Amino acid sequence: MSDDEFLRVSDVSKWYGEEKVLEEVSFEMDRGDVTVLIGPSGSGKSTMLRCVNRLAEAQEGSILLDGEEVLSPDLDVDELRREVGMVFQGFNLFAHLTAVGNVALGPRRVLGLSETAARERAEAQLERVGLGEQFDSYPAELSGGQQQRVGIARALAMEPKLMLFDEPTSALDPELIGEVLEVMHGLVDEGMTMLVVTHEMSFAREVADEIVFLDDGRVVERGPPEQLFDHPEEERTGRFLERIASHD
Amino acid sequence: MSDPATLALAAAASAAVELPACGGLPISAGDGLATLAPVGQSADWSFVGEAVDWEFVFRNADYLGVGALLTIGLTVASILLGFVVGFPAGAVEVYGDGYLKRAVSTVGIVLRGTPIVVILIVMYFVVGVPQINLGVATISSAMTAGILGLGLRSAAYQSQIFRATLSSVDEGQLEAGRSIGLSRFEAVRYVVVPQALRRSIPGFQNEFTIVLKDTSIVFAIGLAELLTRGYDLFSEQTTAVLEVVLFISAIYFVLTFTTNRALDYLGDYYAIPEGESA
Amino acid sequence: MASATRPATVRERVADSDRSVGRLLLVAAGALFWGWLVVSWVNRWLGGVLVPVGQPLVPAGAVEATLAAIPGLAAYASDAAFVVELTPELARGTWLTVVITAVSLAVGFVLAVPLAVARVYGRFSAWVSLGYTELLRGTPLLAQLFVLYYGLNLASYVPGALSGVFARDVVWVAILGFTLNGAAYQAEYIRGALESVEEGQITAGRAIGLSKLETIYYVVLPQGLRYAIPSWTNEFVYLIKYSSLAGFITVPELYYRADQIASETFRYTLIFVVTGVTYLALVLTASKLMERVEDRVAIPGIGSGSEE
Repeated sequence: MSDDEFLRVSDVSKWYGEEKVLEEVSFEMDRGDVTVLIGPSGSGKSTMLRCVNRLAEAQEGSILLDGEEVLSPDLDVDELRREVGMVFQGFNLFAHLTAVGNVALGPRRVLGLSETAARERAEAQLERVGLGEQFDSYPAELSGGQQQRVGIARALAMEPKLMLFDEPTSALDPELIGEVLEVMHGLVDEGMTMLVVTHEMSFAREVADEIVFLDDGRVVERGPPEQLFDHPEEERTGRFLERIASHD
Repeated sequence: MSDPATLALAAAASAAVELPACGGLPISAGDGLATLAPVGQSADWSFVGEAVDWEFVFRNADYLGVGALLTIGLTVASILLGFVVGFPAGAVEVYGDGYLKRAVSTVGIVLRGTPIVVILIVMYFVVGVPQINLGVATISSAMTAGILGLGLRSAAYQSQIFRATLSSVDEGQLEAGRSIGLSRFEAVRYVVVPQALRRSIPGFQNEFTIVLKDTSIVFAIGLAELLTRGYDLFSEQTTAVLEVVLFISAIYFVLTFTTNRALDYLGDYYAIPEGESA
Repeated sequence: MASATRPATVRERVADSDRSVGRLLLVAAGALFWGWLVVSWVNRWLGGVLVPVGQPLVPAGAVEATLAAIPGLAAYASDAAFVVELTPELARGTWLTVVITAVSLAVGFVLAVPLAVARVYGRFSAWVSLGYTELLRGTPLLAQLFVLYYGLNLASYVPGALSGVFARDVVWVAILGFTLNGAAYQAEYIRGALESVEEGQITAGRAIGLSKLETIYYVVLPQGLRYAIPSWTNEFVYLIKYSSLAGFITVPELYYRADQIASETFRYTLIFVVTGVTYLALVLTASKLMERVEDRVAIPGIGSGSEE
């Protein structure tokens, strides 16, 4: 346990009715770390991610973010979400707003910035993800890759201390994946703390400080990428990685 | 004309069964309300109403019941007329062309753009529809005007329902029909229409309740259906206005509610698995 | 097949030119209609600056004389003169029709949005909203007007501040009735539209820290209300037409005045055809207006283009 510990997930469990989707999941991250959650579909990785900003409610365990208990019933959930950015698999851009409008909505309405300040911030964030030309385009007028970059800019505009990525490239055509990963690479270089659910194994290997492999709602194995990818200790991890590799 | 007549009779028979139940109510309801009456007497109206006036309403329940039957008959006849005219009109708007299509859509716009009360009055006074003698019974000219006015107006709306659902059936369905050797008409008839009709049920449901409620507007031409009879009643005993109107509103509500649930059931019954894509 | 396309194209071209002529005629008719209405209203408000109040803008005698002089139209001269005589009364009635429709639609909308939001996102309030809409949509509008006017005698309870705005207080009763009724229908349309907004939009709103109400206000409503425009246009048209029912509770709007004149003169045919045309003109104007609104607020990827 380092002094710089930033996120500590301990023994988190969650049920949907009878079905247990998370079982005593634990891991921790330092500030500036990148942790990648991998695992077969239905293994609970997206649910785990959503518990961190309380889009899903964990029933047991504890999630300490920067020393504060996320699962506390007294916590102001809106306040929490202000500080934790999220990028969705299906982009979820606000369909009635332009790229700038999407990014500016949070700064304007949640942070209370003035119209112009919010717009300036939005434009800066869109420049950051390489969309300087698309300020006034509506989501329907953008490609999937561009939409997802707007989604990233929207999360960044809140100046979050943690970014959650929920399979950000899964809904994209193969040729559009690169531009999104490139933007995420840039964030890693800037030292952003990121918790990522993805199937992009080479990306995970390049940027992750730690890989957490989940199966059936349980942490099967975790460790630095070299160790986990090249010398998995658990048989299940090895089988999963083989299956993924044969698909690539 | 035999269809609406039989249906109206069937409706009459089923409603007649319920009537005694209504007639049985006043004793108990009247007693219950009598204790409440003093509360209401301080104002010149109250939601509870006056026991005497409720008694008046229930004494005349069968008078209103006959009105309800007329309402049902008028609705059924108008909907049928609307279907018989509206379905071909909708098909013309989708598959027709040239002047026929434009004529149909213009008539539709006029009928949909004019208040039903004006349409009814034009039918009654202007077209001057005659009384129809069916041998066993005569249909008064007000009734004929009511059916024509409500029916044709409904046709104009039904044509839009069918236009929308006919064109919502995937283009590929027609092509597939043609590809197995059906003629264009046959492909529409056997492939498109069965799908479109099922999708029309929600719109049809809406239309049915609209017609049912709008039968009340034949009040304008003095046809003695439910609302007109209600009006006659409360003109006779003016203290009972609220009681009468609430009573007939309740009847309308029961009618629309039952119709809606019945059509819901019909929709479920005929639903095509995974059929809805619109 | 190639030869078959040719006549079709020619026919299309003819149809196209027909259409543009038709459109021009329609625009001209619309301009004439609204010009007549507005000038008539202004003339009345200013106490008859152009022609004495109650007189047609164009003298009926002159119209009759002019038409009588034209060979083919002579037969219609007296009918035309009669219609011209009607115009001041029709203009007065149309004013009330327009006011009642506009006020009821606007206030009804204000009530409908919370009703719809409650229905979609509320718990207990969803049931209240459902009860309200079912009850008002399940009974005839005319019966509702009867309850308010004859049953509750609301015309005698009109508050002092509102009393006297219209020549008869019963106008307020009609507005109340149409507002309550229209709110139920509008709520139903808006509910459908809100439900068509994707779930992910709400999740995304919550994820950037908007509260539930803020998400509904800034994210769901702007999209949902756009989806609702086509059905909202329907409601607008319905209200124009059904405002005629106010005549049955003695509101002197268009239908009422037409009916009064008809029962005095017995010229039902002419009077109600003219009345019908007047309503039709109002309805067509409303739907054109809403088409404009829809174009103005259109956003790529949202809206009615693809839907009925």
